[in-house]
Amino acid sequence: MSEQQVKELFDYCQVRYLWQFFSRSWDREENIEGIVNAANEMFHGRVVKKHTPMERLFYADAKEMVKDFRENFPWLEQLEPTKITELLDGLKAMLREYTITKSLNHELNHSLY
Amino acid sequence: MPMVLLECDKVIPERSKHIYLKVEGEDQRDFLPISNAATIPGTLSERGCAFCGAKLVIGGVLKDTIQMIHGPIGCAYDTWHTKRYPTDNGHFNMKYVWSTDMKESHIVFGGEKRLEKSINEAFDEMPDIKRMFVYTTCPTALIGDDIKAVAKKVMSERPDVDIFCCECPGFAGVSQSKGHHVLNINWINEKVGTVEPEITSEYTMNFIGDFNIQGDTQLLDQYWKRLGIQVVAHFTGNGTYDDLRAMHKAQLNVVNCARSSGYIANELKKQYGIPRLDIDSWGFSYMAEGIRKICSFFGIEERGEKLIAEEYAKWKPQLDWYKERLQGTKMAIWTGGPRLWHWTKSVEDDLGVQVVAMSSKFGHQEDFEKVIARGGAGTYYIDDGNELEFFEIIDLVKPEVIFTGPRVGELVKKLHIPYVNGHGYHNGPYMGFEGFVNLARDMYNAKANPLLKLAATDIRGAKSALKEAAE
Repeated sequence: MSEQQVKELFDYCQVRYLWQFFSRSWDREENIEGIVNAANEMFHGRVVKKHTPMERLFYADAKEMVKDFRENFPWLEQLEPTKITELLDGLKAMLREYTITKSLNHELNHSLY
Repeated sequence: MPMVLLECDKVIPERSKHIYLKVEGEDQRDFLPISNAATIPGTLSERGCAFCGAKLVIGGVLKDTIQMIHGPIGCAYDTWHTKRYPTDNGHFNMKYVWSTDMKESHIVFGGEKRLEKSINEAFDEMPDIKRMFVYTTCPTALIGDDIKAVAKKVMSERPDVDIFCCECPGFAGVSQSKGHHVLNINWINEKVGTVEPEITSEYTMNFIGDFNIQGDTQLLDQYWKRLGIQVVAHFTGNGTYDDLRAMHKAQLNVVNCARSSGYIANELKKQYGIPRLDIDSWGFSYMAEGIRKICSFFGIEERGEKLIAEEYAKWKPQLDWYKERLQGTKMAIWTGGPRLWHWTKSVEDDLGVQVVAMSSKFGHQEDFEKVIARGGAGTYYIDDGNELEFFEIIDLVKPEVIFTGPRVGELVKKLHIPYVNGHGYHNGPYMGFEGFVNLARDMYNAKANPLLKLAATDIRGAKSALKEAAE
């Protein structure tokens, strides 16, 4: 896994997906964790849990992301499964940094919606 | 590049915190315009008021609800028929306007009795209508009229009616955005859960933040019907009062306008555990992505793929015809907030159009995070832009078409730059596949219109048939 590869996936996510920009930091955290984890399961060929409404939501978002990644970044298919997990962990970290920890959005931590 | 101080803003340097020019290598961690903040004295804002955000944007869309505006007549008139949101019941919401028509003596002696009389008069005149929104405005809020007490009294005397009170006077916030917020939060706290809907499908959702602008909602409804999904409530395009009371029964909240209506989606998730799925309803690839996600949620992926294939077959050739002719066009988007991030990438991907400047009237920093992430380098991102700034930005980036409202549109027309109505549309709907072809067509027609060149030609002194005839 290289930083460049993480950045490529991250740049794609930034342009494409609205779930990383939900209203509050805890919503963003929940989405990043849930969706990227579901994507990791898909890359490993494992069945993604769809028991709860939130799990079904994460599945729906992750499915599109995995499809997009496979179409746009063919080098992903060459990676070992463990490397894909590392890559997606790197993606999560970068998403968190940009949209939560270093976000300049002053409304992110307001206790109410 | 830090935030930008335009020449015209030299006397109000605080404006530099609201204008950002993105350059390669920068992102929203580095700079984010201040937004949802009070308009700076000295700048001629294009914003609306908080009451307008509640009434004109959300409440006034409903097709079966009297909109009683407790205030002077102007508050009612100025938030009536300036939006194009038709309904399937003969456009009840656009045909009528209701006001308590407060005058000086009512302000001095109080307006509650006048409000009660007006509510009863309206229900008497329209016996088939049993639902009402009542809004405070600046003067009736200042004198402390208790509209909730009046509504309660009327409802006790008329058990078949239901009234929702929206206490959001114009001065309550810095822009329309406050009105969106107040209406969203009060609605879920007071009305959601008070009606049980008839469920007719295994798959149910609310569609949140669509206002049926020139038929957007009705166009998308064709998709949901073909997919077999029941929309419990539209918040609020072509919607009804009682549908909105039943929002708690949907399995999924699909959000289009996250700015005006994200609050109720968040609360529905918090209070009822209904997930929130944000989608972009404008643009081919985004609309397809939204449909795929909804179908994946319900496990009906095959239906989604069939729908997308049919729509692409029907509309993509038309879109491509326009793309060929619009490729490379420089566009500015000066609208409310979300259309900046909904549109900037979709016009680029689907039409080859480059967005060179974007201005938001009431967007929050969340909107600027989205648009800076999606938008290009070399593009200006402006919060609460004013006329002089628009003129200067035009000189800097030379847009060939501007999507904005009629007020700013009339200004740019005088510069012979075509504008397309970015709020109410020229000839919509613009959502969905067919809708985006309509948007492309309006952009092409605006740009290719030969009248633009003729209008820019000074014919004074030139010989013409008319002049000769006059002589």
